[in-house]
Amino acid sequence: MPRPNADDRLRRLLALVPWVVAADGPRLEEVCARFGIGEDELLAELDTVFLCGVHPFTPDALIDVDIEGGRVWIRYADYFSRPLRLTPEEALQLVAAGAALLAVPGADPEGPLARGLARLAGVLGVEVADALDVELGTVSPALLDTLRAAADEGRSVEIDYYAYGRDARTRRVVDPEAVYAAEGEWYLSAWCHLAEAPRRFRVDRIRGTRVLDRPEGDADGAARRRRREAVSRTVFEPSPDDPRVVLELEPQARWVVEQYPVEEVEELGDGRLRVRLVAGERAWLERLLLRLGRYGRAVEGADGVAAAAAGRVLARYGDR
Amino acid sequence: MASSRLERLLNLTAALLTAPRPLTAAEVAERVPGYPLPTGSPTFKRAFERDKDSLRDMGIPLVLAPVEGADPPVEGYVIPRDQYELRDPGLEPDELAALHLAAAAVELEGLRGSSALWKLGGAPPEGNGATDAATAAVAPLPATPLLVPLFEAVAERTPVSFTYRDEDREVEPWRLAFRRGHWYLEGHDRARGAERQFRLDRVEGEVALGTPGTAATTPAPARAGAPRPWQYGEGDPVVASLLVDADQAPWALDRLGDDVVAEHRTDGSLVFALPVTNREAFRSFVLGFLDHAEVLGPPELRDDLAAWLRALTAA
Repeated sequence: MPRPNADDRLRRLLALVPWVVAADGPRLEEVCARFGIGEDELLAELDTVFLCGVHPFTPDALIDVDIEGGRVWIRYADYFSRPLRLTPEEALQLVAAGAALLAVPGADPEGPLARGLARLAGVLGVEVADALDVELGTVSPALLDTLRAAADEGRSVEIDYYAYGRDARTRRVVDPEAVYAAEGEWYLSAWCHLAEAPRRFRVDRIRGTRVLDRPEGDADGAARRRRREAVSRTVFEPSPDDPRVVLELEPQARWVVEQYPVEEVEELGDGRLRVRLVAGERAWLERLLLRLGRYGRAVEGADGVAAAAAGRVLARYGDR
Repeated sequence: MASSRLERLLNLTAALLTAPRPLTAAEVAERVPGYPLPTGSPTFKRAFERDKDSLRDMGIPLVLAPVEGADPPVEGYVIPRDQYELRDPGLEPDELAALHLAAAAVELEGLRGSSALWKLGGAPPEGNGATDAATAAVAPLPATPLLVPLFEAVAERTPVSFTYRDEDREVEPWRLAFRRGHWYLEGHDRARGAERQFRLDRVEGEVALGTPGTAATTPAPARAGAPRPWQYGEGDPVVASLLVDADQAPWALDRLGDDVVAEHRTDGSLVFALPVTNREAFRSFVLGFLDHAEVLGPPELRDDLAAWLRALTAA
């Protein structure tokens, strides 16, 4: 770990000194644990504090640091008796983290976090609930709990999953690794026994779970560890082998560039674009083409897909 | 040496916190050891400037004010104690532990992590509860450079102005909202005289801050749930009747909520009554179901969708 610079050390000391002053003789280990500092480093910092004070730096104008029997006292530091107030950045960081965790489905709205945030807000002069509103996506708390518990306990789960890209429901056994919120949705990353590969699942598309008593397949811990590692290493990005599709977009359809990971964009003039993107699976492509309507046209990699899909939907409207 | 600079910074902070009146640069050099002298030299100026920047960077309120009675007039530096000190929020150990857990579980990307918690007393010893495994979710929140100044503007009721969709906006900020993976600013748009939402990643260029405390409108309460894309837009909503097949009904119910369910059919399918002001967004939502949903009415919306699809089959 790089040695912190003087600014970072000052930042820490201006918080640590008031705490030690107020704690009246805390144990050195506790100071180390609270402020994430090693004992040698702490003693060196306290040496520096010992040299500090105010003009004229006579003994009575110096901060007194007393270390005895593994405990530490700091005295005559009245001007450092309170920590520095939170910067807007620090306040935002804490309040946003707290609000986000309270937005996890199933969080206790009257628990310690909610109470702590309210007290903090009182000091900051903002009403957290009014100033910051975090939504992480709607899923069932019970489902989140089941998946998290399975990940913690290393159990396999059989899930009934709607594969959006293929517009099909499947049952599969997965080994949950992590449950997290990103881009407004909840995800489960897991080893999928159906695909025999790491996969990422949208939690809101999981219907029905059955927690299995033991890991599916081998009881061998080593193989299981390898899978877990594979899942945690996997960055869920399109593979170079996935099919691509080339679309020509009218100006009304330029939003595609913002919302989809396009690989190439070419201006065609008059606000029109030609884009290349990973096609994903059939149903995914159908949805995109139906939404684009006449503002987008597949020129490569999607012959007849739009017309066929439109025909299927139109059948519900009494014509085709 | 880094430690002697740390010593100088600590002494400087102490000197300015205890100063009965603003101290001139020369007085600072007298009272704080470690500065290269004489005070008129460029090396002194550089060192003092650097120290002032350090203090300001960490949020220490360093105030420049005239020294009373000085002739000729000079300015000096002081740190007003009431602006420096954090009031004690009086956190219980379990509350502090919960805040720590939150900061560990939710990373606001790119923002400084631990210093806020140090100021609140650092990591509490283990065994203070609140470390419930069920809350140990990891949710990275993206941070944009606008987030901190806008949060400050919300807290201090400072009007802000910026360019959005090629138009200049003057907004009284009410709150920051993180919805569907994006940060929004919600507030009162002065020119439009109405509540508006702005996606932060679509704000163009810088945000100019007005005078703190001059935002006059009372924030409307946060909505329970963000408005749906098809509820954005002006004009009176048309209530659409949308049939979703049994297979997709549970998902749709999760998304839309049961207060918009108009009918439970015996085959497990659901009919939703959705107020629509933005027809394009509604059409996109419906098409996401492919052939598992159907717009039952009103006829104008049903015909609109069919015509949209017909244009594709003809192509």
